[in-house]
This record gives sequence, C-alpha cells and structure tokens, in this order.
Amino acid sequence: MTEFTLPRRTALQLALGSLALPGIAEAQQAQIDPLLYGPTPENARRGGRITVGSLVEPPALDPFRQAADARIRVSPLMYQGLFFEDQSGVPRPLLAESATAAPDGKSWTFRLRRGVKFHTGQPMTSADVKYSYDFMRNAANGSPGAGDLSSVTSIDAPDDFTVVFNLSRPNAALPMTLTNKYGAVVPRGFLDDANSGTRMNEISVGTGPFKLKQFRPNSTLVFERNPDYWQPGLPYLDEITFVTMPNSAAMAVGLQSRRIDLAMFSRPQDTQALANAQGVEVRRWPSLNQKTVDLDCKYNNLGDVRVRQAIALAIDKKTVMDASISGYGTVIGTIVAGMQDAWGVPLDQLANQRVDLDRAKALLAAAGHPNGFDIDLTTIIGYDWMDAAAVTIAEQLRRINIRVNIRKLELGVWIRNFRAREMGFTFNDWGTTPDPSLLYYRHFRAAPEGADFRNWNHARASALLDRGQETADPAARRAIYAEFQKILAEEVPTIMMFSSDVLTANRTRLKNYVQHGTGWYFGLVKAWVEG
Amino acid sequence: MTAWRLGLVLLAFFAVLIVAPGWVAQQSPFDLDPARALQPPSAAHWFGTDDVGRDVFARVIHGTRITLGLVTLSLLIATAIGGGLGIVAGFAGKWFDLAAGRLADMVQTFPPIIAGVMITGVLGPGAMNLVLALAVIYVPTFFRIGRSAALAEAQLTYVEASRAAGFTEGSILVRQVLPNVLPVLVLQYVIMFPLALQIEAALGFLGLGVVPPTPDWGAILEQGKNFILVAWWMSLWPGLFVLLSAAAMTLIGQGLREKFGR
Amino acid sequence: MAGFLARRLGAAAIAALLSSLAVFLIMRAVPGDIVGQMLGQSGGDRAAEEALRAFFGLDRPLWSQFADWLGAVLRGDLGRSWYQGRPVGVMVWEAFLVTLELAVATLVLATLIGVPLGVVAGITQGSRLDRAIQSFNLVGLSAPVFWLGLMLLVGASAALDWSPPFAWSGPQEDLADNISILVLPVISLAVLQAAAYSQFVRGLMIEELGKDYIRAGRAKGLTPAELYFKHALSNVMIPLVTFMGLILVQILGGVVVIESLFSLPGLGRLILAGIQGRDYPVVQGALFFVVIIATTINLVVDLLYGLLDPRLKP
Repeated sequence: MTEFTLPRRTALQLALGSLALPGIAEAQQAQIDPLLYGPTPENARRGGRITVGSLVEPPALDPFRQAADARIRVSPLMYQGLFFEDQSGVPRPLLAESATAAPDGKSWTFRLRRGVKFHTGQPMTSADVKYSYDFMRNAANGSPGAGDLSSVTSIDAPDDFTVVFNLSRPNAALPMTLTNKYGAVVPRGFLDDANSGTRMNEISVGTGPFKLKQFRPNSTLVFERNPDYWQPGLPYLDEITFVTMPNSAAMAVGLQSRRIDLAMFSRPQDTQALANAQGVEVRRWPSLNQKTVDLDCKYNNLGDVRVRQAIALAIDKKTVMDASISGYGTVIGTIVAGMQDAWGVPLDQLANQRVDLDRAKALLAAAGHPNGFDIDLTTIIGYDWMDAAAVTIAEQLRRINIRVNIRKLELGVWIRNFRAREMGFTFNDWGTTPDPSLLYYRHFRAAPEGADFRNWNHARASALLDRGQETADPAARRAIYAEFQKILAEEVPTIMMFSSDVLTANRTRLKNYVQHGTGWYFGLVKAWVEG
Repeated sequence: MTAWRLGLVLLAFFAVLIVAPGWVAQQSPFDLDPARALQPPSAAHWFGTDDVGRDVFARVIHGTRITLGLVTLSLLIATAIGGGLGIVAGFAGKWFDLAAGRLADMVQTFPPIIAGVMITGVLGPGAMNLVLALAVIYVPTFFRIGRSAALAEAQLTYVEASRAAGFTEGSILVRQVLPNVLPVLVLQYVIMFPLALQIEAALGFLGLGVVPPTPDWGAILEQGKNFILVAWWMSLWPGLFVLLSAAAMTLIGQGLREKFGR
Repeated sequence: MAGFLARRLGAAAIAALLSSLAVFLIMRAVPGDIVGQMLGQSGGDRAAEEALRAFFGLDRPLWSQFADWLGAVLRGDLGRSWYQGRPVGVMVWEAFLVTLELAVATLVLATLIGVPLGVVAGITQGSRLDRAIQSFNLVGLSAPVFWLGLMLLVGASAALDWSPPFAWSGPQEDLADNISILVLPVISLAVLQAAAYSQFVRGLMIEELGKDYIRAGRAKGLTPAELYFKHALSNVMIPLVTFMGLILVQILGGVVVIESLFSLPGLGRLILAGIQGRDYPVVQGALFFVVIIATTINLVVDLLYGLLDPRLKP
C-alpha cells in the first residue's frame, strides 16, 4: 500500500511543441493511440457487467451545462472531446487525429477522425465539431467551460474532416482545453432545443464507448456498450451500473458482500476496513486534486500580505495531512502532486513552506497584530477531511495567537460565496486538467480575463499567466510557470497543502481498471471482467 | 414506581455529567494527536480515540452538556412561545386563535427533519441555529397543549366567578389559568424531550449541528459513521448515551403521568 | 357533519397555501441558487449566470414566480424538475411509492410485534414478562433510528457477510431484491414503532381489564381467552386503529434519515436532494404533496374517530 500502482509517468513526453503531438499521421487511416484512456490489456475478455459504488450522484447528465464533479466523472463514458487529457500532461488525440498550430499561434487546425458515429447513428463531421464548440463558447448558453475558450474568435470547417479554431491571441493550452471536462462533440442542431439539457438525462448523443441506458435519480445510473464504437474491440464491458451509496462504510460492506465491483473513496483512509477483505484489491493512485486553504484578500486582515505569510508559516501541512487523510497523500507547494514533476518548483525553492513561528509572530506584529486576531475558517458539509483539518489548523494558528472559529457551510452556499468572491478564509478541494494554464488562469488571473476568486489582483502574476498561455515552447513555458509559482508561494493567496491519493477498491474479478488522477472514470473503457 | 426511580437515577447521572464533566472525564475533549488516532478502548482511553486522536470518552462526557443543553434550551423556547401563545389563544379565542392555529397547522405539516434542514439552510449550521430550528419544530405541539388546557380552564366556573368579581382578563390569565395549565406543559415537555433529542442527533448526523471542535453526540456519530468498520467505538458510545438519556426522560415522563393521574 | 367537513377542508386549504408560500420563501432565503451549482465553483461568468437565471425565470419578481407556480398547481401541474426535466408530479409519486412501501412494511411489522407484546404485557401486568417487554419498549423508544440502522448494517455484514444491494428495485421489478433492500431499514424503523405500539396497547389493556364488565364476566365464569380476546381486545380496536394512523404519519415523517442511510429513492431523499440542488420546483411540489397527504390522514383519522365513537362527534 505504500507504492503507487502506476509508476509516475513523467513529462518527458511533454515536449508538446506546436507539431509534436503523438499519434499524428497524415495517412488516411490514422493509427489509434494505444494509450488512449490507459494501457491496453492483453487477453481481455469481452462481455460481462459490473456495478460501481459511488458516494456522489450527478444531478443531471448534460456535459455542456452541469459543472458538478459527479457529472464529469461519468460523462467521458458517453461523450468525447477532441483530445484525451492524459495524466502525464499530454493531450492525446481522441476525436481529433492531429493538431497543428499556425506559426503565429493565432489559429489551430485539427484533422478529425473518420468513421466516428454518434449514438444517434449519424456520422460525425467537422460541422458537428464546429456546432458543439460554438455552442459551448457562447456565454449566453450558460456553459461553465465558456471562459476557457474566451480566446477563440471563430471556428471554421473548411472540409468535412478539418476544423480550424481562430484565436485572438495564442493559446498553447487549447488542445488540453478541448478535452472532456466541459462540453463534447454532439450532433449539430441537438442543442437548439431549449430542453436539450434535460433530454440528455434520457438519451446520450455522444460518440463515447458507452450509451446511457437508464438514469434513476437517487439510485442508479446504467450504461450499456455502444456497439458502433470507433475504437476497435472496445469497450470490453457490456454494462456498467453506478449505484449511489450512502457512505464509505456501506461501500466497504458492499464490496465485501460482492454487491459492488468497484468503488472510489473520497477519503483514502476509509479503505482501511478492506485491508484484509477476501477478493478485494485496494489500490492507490496519484491525483490531480488538491486540498487547499484559500485566503480572500478582502476578508478580515487577509489583505495584508504579511498576515497571509504568517498564516502560511504557522501551518504544518504534513500534520494537517496526517490528521485529515491519515497521511495517504503528498504534501505539495504550489501545484497538484500529479503535475509536480512536469511543472512544479521543488518545495525547498518556494517561500513560506516551512513552519517558522518566530517569523510568523514577527510578521503579525509588523502588520499591527502583535496580539493576534479572531478569524472564521470555513469548512463544507460533507467534505469529511475538512473537519479534522480545521481543528488541526485551529490548533496550529493558536500558536501565533490567531484565534480560529470554525464555521460550516452547506455546499450550495459555499459555491455562492466563492463565485461572488466572498469566500473568506476557507478550505477548498479542487482538481484540474493537467495543464498549468487550466490550473491557474481562471483562479488567479486578475479580472476581467480571469475570475480572481481570491481578490488577489496581482499584476505581475497576471502578466505571467497571460504569457504562459501564449507561449508554445515547452522550456520557456515551464520557466514562466516556475516564476509564477514563486510569486504564489511568496504572496499566499492560497495555501496548497496536499494532494490526497485516489484510492480505489475492486473485486479481483475486475481487471485492468486504471484510475485517472482527475477521479473521472476513463479507466472503465479498458477494464474487463473474468468470466 | 421503580421505573420512575430508575429514571431519576439516570437523570441524576446525566446531571452530574452536565454540571461537572471535567470531574468525570479527566482528559480534554479537544486535545488532538494524529499519532494516537483510532485506538480501540483501553485503560488510557476508555472509549478509544477518534480519527484525530481525541479521547472519545472525554468527548462523549463533555458532549452531554452540549447535546442535552441544546435540546433543553430549544424545548424551553418552544414551551414558552408555543405554550404562551396557546394559552392566550385558548383563553382569548377569536381571530387570534384562528390565525395562530393555522400557523401551527402549517409548521406541523412538515416532517421534523425536513423542517430542520430548511431552517438550518437559511440560518446556516451552528449550535444556536440548531436550537432555533428545534424550537420552531416543537412550537405547534406546545401551542396545541397550551390551547386546549386553557380552553378547558376558561370554561370552569372559577373563571366566570373571577370575571364577575371584577378581575381583569390579564390577571385571570396570569394568576389563575397559568398555574393550572403549567403542569400540563411540564408533562408535555418531558414527553417531547426524547423525541427532540432524536431529531437533534439526526440533524447532527446530517452535518447540520454544532461546528467542530464542539463535542456533540450527533456530531460524533456523524464523524464516526465512515469509520464504523474499523472504529466501532466512535459510533457505539455516543449512540448509547443518546439512548440512555432518552430512556431517562421517557421513564420520568411515565412516572409524571402516573403522578398527575394522566 | 357537512359543516364540520367544510370547516376542516377550508382550514386544510389555508394551511396548504400558507405552507406553500413558506416553502417558496424559505427556499429563496437559502443562499445560492441552481445557477451556482450548474456553473460550479469556478465555471462561467456573469453573462452565463444571467442567461441561466433568465432561463429558469429567476430574474423575475418573486410574487410573479409564486403566482405562476400556484396557478399551475391549481391546474394540476406541479411543473418540471430543473435538473431532471421530468414532471415533478411523476417524480413525487414514484418517490412516494418507495416511502409508502417502507412505511406500510414498517407498520405491518410493528403491528405484528407491538400488539401481541402489548396484549401480553397488559394481561400479565407486573410480572417478569411484563417487565421484560417494558424494557424492550423503553430501549425501542429511546434508540436513535439512524444509529440502529447503522449498527444493523455493520452487524449484518460482520455476522452474515451480507449487505443490501443498495440499487433500488421496486416490488414489481424484482421482489427478492426489493425485500433485500427493505429488510434492514424496515427493522430499524419498526423497532421504535413496535415499542410505541406495545406501550400503547399495554395501557389500553390494563384500563380495559379493570372495567366492570370484565369483572362481571369473570364472575360469570367466562374463560380468560374469551375475556381477553372477545371482549377486551375488541373494545381496544377503535383506539388501536386511530393509533395506526398516527404511527403512519410519524413513519412517513421520520424516514428521511433512514432513506439517506440506505440509499432509498423515497420522498425524503427527493426533498433533501432538491434542497441541496436548489431545484425549487421539486422541493415546492414534493412538500405540497406532503402537506396534502398529512392533512388528509389527519382528517380521515378525525372522521373515523367521530364515526367510531359517537361521543366525540363534533
């Protein structure tokens, strides 16, 4: 249990130049990347059904207009974007076959895969791709992903299997943006109906390996094999049933009694109950998620950078991690664990990472709070790790005389405050698609280009984020983001504490399930069951 | 009568825990140490430790004051407001009775947990908001009891006699009706206590109760539910304490009912 | 009688209207709306928020939103779920059937356990058996239902290596699965209600057995069986039936936590999920339905009471 199941693939492949995407071929029938969705198994058996236990359930299945993580987890089974967000940081062509950026970086040309059919039976062409992404980037349609496409000025479809995205300024992260978090390619015209969003709870209209069979809210979600799927031989499973489980103890019980075949645990130590269970494997995967403390620079005394630094210097991330997730994770500095090797700055080169109470007290005194102050720390109901982290941090901050009152918020209220840039001093639990621009831009770029939820409004950091998005050369890009991270650590608008490992448990009859670091169920496409 | 005595003994036991929890549990309910997390019951930690290494015995013992205090307070508020309005409604009648009656009908049609979720949704979770939510849920019960008791009193001859003797309505209400209705409200208070305690624990279990690190039985149960397979002690003891205190009040309620001749 | 009925119906209608208005206002007083949930913590901008708000009519004045909703309800239309797109009436009815099955199964089990226990305890008042039954009653009345459910789930897993399937199947889909799903939640709920039942019946029996006609019957030489079952039990039937109505209302109101604990797609979970997701039509429609059901049961119980016992006729 101490070793990761997957060796951390590093980002040598990250040599993502404008032309260096893997799998690019001008041949008529491009080969299909064997690493799409994860490693291809040998001797896989086709057929069989499995049941997956999940603590969360999507409120609805519309990939364009529902941002809930529970929705994103299952959408990739039915819907596909142009690229697959490989954990290593490489966007692997999915519905696209190749990607070419213009020399000035202001347009990207994507060749599309042939022979792809929608679940409705229609063949996919460039017109569908243009339609789908035009819909998504129009703010009036209310897609949460629109902001990531703000640099797109128009989309052209010069022939049936080519699309061109024209940009107002270069965007090196565009392929990684056209992945599977928000939106997808759907048949043109489908979204014209005002009720198309809720229609997608009844039928799936994507190109993915599974079709929606039945969605019964507060209970089950069933997918069946798409017989016309374009990756030969895939998927292996006939049917997948997701069951909404009440709590992680019930998931463990369900695995032991063979009611469910697979479960992902939101709090890793909850798998301890399965350590000695017969016929159940518990596996541990690196994640693209992070647990943070966010500091609203307009709240309380947090506008003073010295106060923020003092707080950072008083928090012992390792102890918080041990208390809240029993140490099943990695302490981080300024980037999620899954991207540290490719993009991160070593923690010893970042400011404010080591506990230093004397300096913290001196900073507080200099900021005019020699006797400390009172502050509310927000946790979210249902995020179990936060309660333990909150009492630990309250204890740590008391050592520099900051008196913490813990307050709990219901998720909907918390989201409202966050979006209104009134987050206060709060825990946060968020993940990313593996590209630094997608990780940082919306959160830390000053308004109006970014959302700047923490009211940080930092000019130099914003300039770096703009340049990072525009720069194509990998080495130059990496240097830009390293500089940005140093500012982030110095300025402390957020304290990124740790990435919690993703823990999955499965009945041993389920084979080749590989968990993606986002927590999304890409791995089910290549999973199979013994007869 | 033995049941009544058992109830009093249990009540005395909980009273000690409320007045002097530190005298019973020597350890702090707040001191945490991840190094000793999730330890089973032992001589050092009678009820084991929780996921951040706090002593569960200390948390349960100190939780007595919190949990029972919240229920006591919320029912007191419900009795004062509900009972008071009910007495006035029963005694004065007319439009006030009608309006208050409809309002009570309205509140009472909501399942208690749903009402609790909605009220804490507006106010936000927290001890005082939980008290308010529970109070609102039980106001109609006490309103009805107070109203029917006052209604019965108002028809008695002594009230008529007082009126004839020139006492004002207000003074009849306060000096004569109230003392006679009060025992009925007290009995109802005791009867409602176990029910309100269950709702309080259930709301805590849904995460809508007190904020950490306050020890509250429902909150400890909520915290323990995910660990129940590896650390049953986090769930067993607070549950048993809810059970025992509810039983104490049930027994006392039965005893009181017999004493009052039902 | 007709006057009484009219008055009660009028009062019920006013209560339903008031509570609908209260639900409407409370839901809007809870901070955050569906738009925030759809866009997530970081997605979309002001323009997207405004577009979605307009789509759901949330940009219109409150009074007009409520008037529209009420008007539709009076035409028999509870609207559609904002997430699901399905008619709220259908969703509420499906969820109600789950809750009703749970409640009826609980009621049956509680009656089967509670009534005999109460009768026996009443007949053998003061005996050791009576005391044992009273202890059961006390524990049953005092144990938190959700705690009992949790303990049962863990106990069944440890002792029998068994767990419920968690995926819901209705009785008409797969009866065996349906029973497997319901057995633990029904037991958790029934313990409380059986205890309440048993306590109630015991009191009735003791009261009844102390009456003159029983003493007279004893003197006449009737056998205990005739006394207890022919006379005493048949006399306590009336309060028993009304108590059943009360218990049903109590179960229907108390299943929320048990539904959550066992992943049952019942009415309580529908409402909870609706509140969490700010799906106003679902919350308003479901609670409107709950109010109507609760009021109806209360009315029926009162009417039955009046019919069965002429002294109580209003």
